[in-house]
Amino acid sequence: MEPVLLRARGAADSRAITTYLKAGGYEGWKKALAMGPDAVTKEVSDSELRGRGGAGFPTGRKWSFVPKDHPGPRYLVCNADESEPGTFKDREIIEYDPHQVIEGIAIASFAIKANTAYIYIRGEFVRWARILEETITEARQHGFLGKNVLGSGFDLDVWVHRGAGAYICGEETALLESIEGKRGFPRLKPPFPAVVGLFGKPTVINNVETLACVPHIITRGAAWFAGIGRAKNTGPKLFGVSGHVNRPGVYELPLGVTFREIIEEHAGGVRGGRKLKAFFPGGSSAPVLTAAEVDVKADFDACAEAKTMLGSGGIIVFDDSVDMVEVADNVAHFYAHESCGQCTPCREGSDWCMDILDRLMAGHGLPADPDTLLRICRFASGGMTICPLGDAFALPITSLVTKFRDEFERHIAAATPLPPRKLPVLPWAGPKAGFGI
Amino acid sequence: MSTRPIEAAPPRTVQTVTFDATMDARIAELRQRYPTSRAALLPVLWLCQERYGWISPGVIRAVAERLGESPAFVEGVVTFYTMYQTAPPARYVLQVCTTLSCAWTGARELVAHLKERLGIGFGETTPDGTFQLVGVQCLGACGRAPVIQINDDYYEDLDVARLDAILDELSGRR
Amino acid sequence: MPKLTIDGHEVEVAAGTNLIEAARAAGVAIPYFCYHPYLAVVGQCRICMVEVAGQPRLALGCATPAADGMVVKVEDSERAREAREAVMEFLLANHPLDCPVCDQAGECLLQDHSMSEQGSKFTTHMAETRRTFPGYERRLIGPHVVQNQNRCIHCSRCIRFTREISETAALTYKSRGNSTFIDTFDGSSFDDPMSGCATDVCPVGALTLRETRFRKRAWKLRSTPSVCPGCSIGCNIFIDHHERVVYRFTPRENPAINATWLCDHGRFLAESLNEQAYLTPQHQGPGHPVPAAWGEALAAVGALLRGAASLRVVASANMSNEELFLARELFGRQLKGEIAVPVAAGEPRRMKNGRGEWLLAKDAHPNAAGARRLGLDTVDGEGLSRFLYGGAGLTLILDPEAHPFLASPEALRLLRVGTTVVWARRSHPVADGATWLLPTPSIASNEGTFTSSTGAVQRFAEAFAAPGTVHRTATGGMSPDCPTIASPWGAPGEARPLWLVLSALARELGTKTLDLASPAEVFTLMARSEKGFAGLVWEALGGLAPQQSFRERQHVG
Repeated sequence: MEPVLLRARGAADSRAITTYLKAGGYEGWKKALAMGPDAVTKEVSDSELRGRGGAGFPTGRKWSFVPKDHPGPRYLVCNADESEPGTFKDREIIEYDPHQVIEGIAIASFAIKANTAYIYIRGEFVRWARILEETITEARQHGFLGKNVLGSGFDLDVWVHRGAGAYICGEETALLESIEGKRGFPRLKPPFPAVVGLFGKPTVINNVETLACVPHIITRGAAWFAGIGRAKNTGPKLFGVSGHVNRPGVYELPLGVTFREIIEEHAGGVRGGRKLKAFFPGGSSAPVLTAAEVDVKADFDACAEAKTMLGSGGIIVFDDSVDMVEVADNVAHFYAHESCGQCTPCREGSDWCMDILDRLMAGHGLPADPDTLLRICRFASGGMTICPLGDAFALPITSLVTKFRDEFERHIAAATPLPPRKLPVLPWAGPKAGFGI
Repeated sequence: MSTRPIEAAPPRTVQTVTFDATMDARIAELRQRYPTSRAALLPVLWLCQERYGWISPGVIRAVAERLGESPAFVEGVVTFYTMYQTAPPARYVLQVCTTLSCAWTGARELVAHLKERLGIGFGETTPDGTFQLVGVQCLGACGRAPVIQINDDYYEDLDVARLDAILDELSGRR
Repeated sequence: MPKLTIDGHEVEVAAGTNLIEAARAAGVAIPYFCYHPYLAVVGQCRICMVEVAGQPRLALGCATPAADGMVVKVEDSERAREAREAVMEFLLANHPLDCPVCDQAGECLLQDHSMSEQGSKFTTHMAETRRTFPGYERRLIGPHVVQNQNRCIHCSRCIRFTREISETAALTYKSRGNSTFIDTFDGSSFDDPMSGCATDVCPVGALTLRETRFRKRAWKLRSTPSVCPGCSIGCNIFIDHHERVVYRFTPRENPAINATWLCDHGRFLAESLNEQAYLTPQHQGPGHPVPAAWGEALAAVGALLRGAASLRVVASANMSNEELFLARELFGRQLKGEIAVPVAAGEPRRMKNGRGEWLLAKDAHPNAAGARRLGLDTVDGEGLSRFLYGGAGLTLILDPEAHPFLASPEALRLLRVGTTVVWARRSHPVADGATWLLPTPSIASNEGTFTSSTGAVQRFAEAFAAPGTVHRTATGGMSPDCPTIASPWGAPGEARPLWLVLSALARELGTKTLDLASPAEVFTLMARSEKGFAGLVWEALGGLAPQQSFRERQHVG
């Protein structure tokens, strides 16, 4: 497949607006302004574009949920919080061809009649936040943003809003809270952001890659986009391959190629001549797949059939030297660190899983541990929590325990009892003298 | 690439904070990007961290007053996010990614080497205040693992030899 | 008005009612920790999970509005029961389970739910070391509030209280995930004029009150409905007491006035109710007071009243409507005396009602509005000094705490001329110099009504009988509230409520119409003759009758 989103990667001055314009940039924006909002939304719906951030929700439908009769303002938010372990695709777009994102933001804002858009980018991405700021300035200087865009009467301001280190802010309602200047606590749903979103107004939140697809859909047509991949799983997709492969990196491929093709052909196979043991197909929140499942197709529905998910398309590959209990422990550490702490099952469950797995790795596993892990995960997922972070740690850990139970049992069989717990002698850590309690 | 060192304001200089004209102007500019003043909180905190190197209680009080929030609210936000420094940091903060792809492609070796070379553990600072070692979760650079973020900059595809060269350069330039 | 079925009970509720309240109306208890009827719904604790027919996932009782035709299963749902059990296991995984040494025990939502749903069957799969917060285990965070972070279940009620109700936003979460804890800014004092409410809303023993913790186990306390005497807003309270000792005030729900809140000023008046400086009637002997029996005192005061050349009466806005009415009828209309009711403005105080509106206190007394409604002359300090200027034959001071002016040297100088009769409870210079002193008990041993500054006439009940009186139940047995005539714990002496003494004086003076047996009778007479009280019925005021639906304190705090 000829590259679409990454067509500029490797070219000289690939980020510059002159380069982008030479390649037909902002033609989609001009065309969209002529089409009108409803026709734009219809075109995107017809393309069957699904959200690239992880959930795979149809983008056109998301836009159409914004109430037509709302007096406004409405907001568009571009989610550039890319924090899912194994995911590093959005920064590739921003690094090499950021004007696609700005053009996508402009078209999407126009479709939902939003005059303000925010790009929420993770705090660590200082360089890429700067690139986006420069890109916005360029676009404004060329009249593609700002007041009365290209004489259409449509106004659009785009601002970059930096996060400050919190994975949970990739969850769309936590992201909105974070823009509003609060702790990143996901909101209860309903109401959904399309109705009550940023500052209480209708808001659409789309991923960077999703928005980058939009200009291409408008210029080349929905039929062209829908022709890539298969029905309901259309278009090009960025796959980030990392871990034990010879050529880690981001690959743009049509949805529906097999994981075998991605790992063996594009990423050059497992490195050091070792064998594939397992891989996360779409970031660490997706249930793990084993080497036997490598022929699963990399698209939304095929992954769902294989009881996992395509997620963000971040593929993490493990060779046969890897201890899967340690993988579970590493995953648990990540989610315990990133749980926001507001609702009970996730706050307590993620930490509890981490403690159990730490103890297992320290050689003090107990026979009940695998079942305890499964029980914790069962009651931290499936709607028990406010946001999907409960599922995000519960599903992969459940899959690791069920698919690699023998490895857990091996740890437990070799375990030594916990050394007797010594009661700590605590220094007096109470209040200062004189409080009288 | 040359990473700019952090110049952290000594605690006594930021016990009480008054914003100068430059800060005032920049805060006003950030403020007009949003319909509420609270929404400017994260960018204003970033601005303060750039200016003072860290977010002291005095900075929190000043920011709270400027945006019309209670200091407790602002402190709640500051402590939620891991990147706001609540104590003066070292000149170079070495943030080593310890998540999946990095962990299995060399981060463990880098951490072991850093601990040995600098004689410090996670969360600690070298006695001369040059380096601070922090273990962080996924930095979103898995394809170029292992990765260390030093202050604002990413250092990718690292191995022990490259890391040593970077540390030599950073510490030699003091 | 949606009609729905909850565990087989059909119930009709107002539109917008959530499932927790709908179930309450149907007589089914959905457990909750983070939900509070007067705070924003956050759905954090996850214990209120119920099954709604036709929905694949469990629904949150707090965040799901009742809908017509909904079929909800709480106890009847195995799935919901299992989920609630799991949430309890999560909550208790890191809870210290130190109920025996926790002062919240007995009024702890976590403990109550654990006992009611799980009883002794509770098991945990937890084998790890519990999370603790060293240094945050017993910490005074403000003038009144003690924090034990280990017990916190992260419900955020206290934070929401300071943000939404008291508007100080003085409490916050810090850090995140399982390390999240509650704190003030940079360890500063939890300065909030309603800080005590943070301990009310805390469902567990994470926040307790320094003043009342460890003084009495919650299950020992009896709660008597009353009205806060702290200012003119008239917040509804419970007087929590045991064996004639008042331990605390807790807010009683009233959406129109104080929702479920109480300010620290009012709350901490509770302790002062136990003060009783004057125990028996006494008159001024040669150089020192001489105790007297009530019979002797009433006869003597009656004689003074009959023989007085002129009479002036300092009443008080701290008196009940019934007492003010009796005083006006007896001293004003009957004996043609002059009556003034001093009113002090006091500190500015405010309270937020259930609609989120601030009510402002106009006066420092609970019944200034009642005095005005009865047509009595209200005076400020200056007016009071004019009222007392130029001697009179006889001066009655019904309450020396009616105005701070009465404690001033000037007032004492003015009162030195002529004869004074003073009713008092706490030590006061005016009382010490009185010709006759008659002891009165606190509001806890009185009953009556106050008129709030919003115009509501509200009843307060007698928590325990005045010292030295026999308290019998209808069947003739001793009331459990008042086990003995001379309780070893109660104050000794013979203080009598003012209304009782006023009606006894009426008898003494032969005024039959005012010789009444109870405040209820006084009120009935007043409601018949006073325009401002017309149509009001004693039994219906303030919902004190047991049949009236009152939410128990547990449910809202």
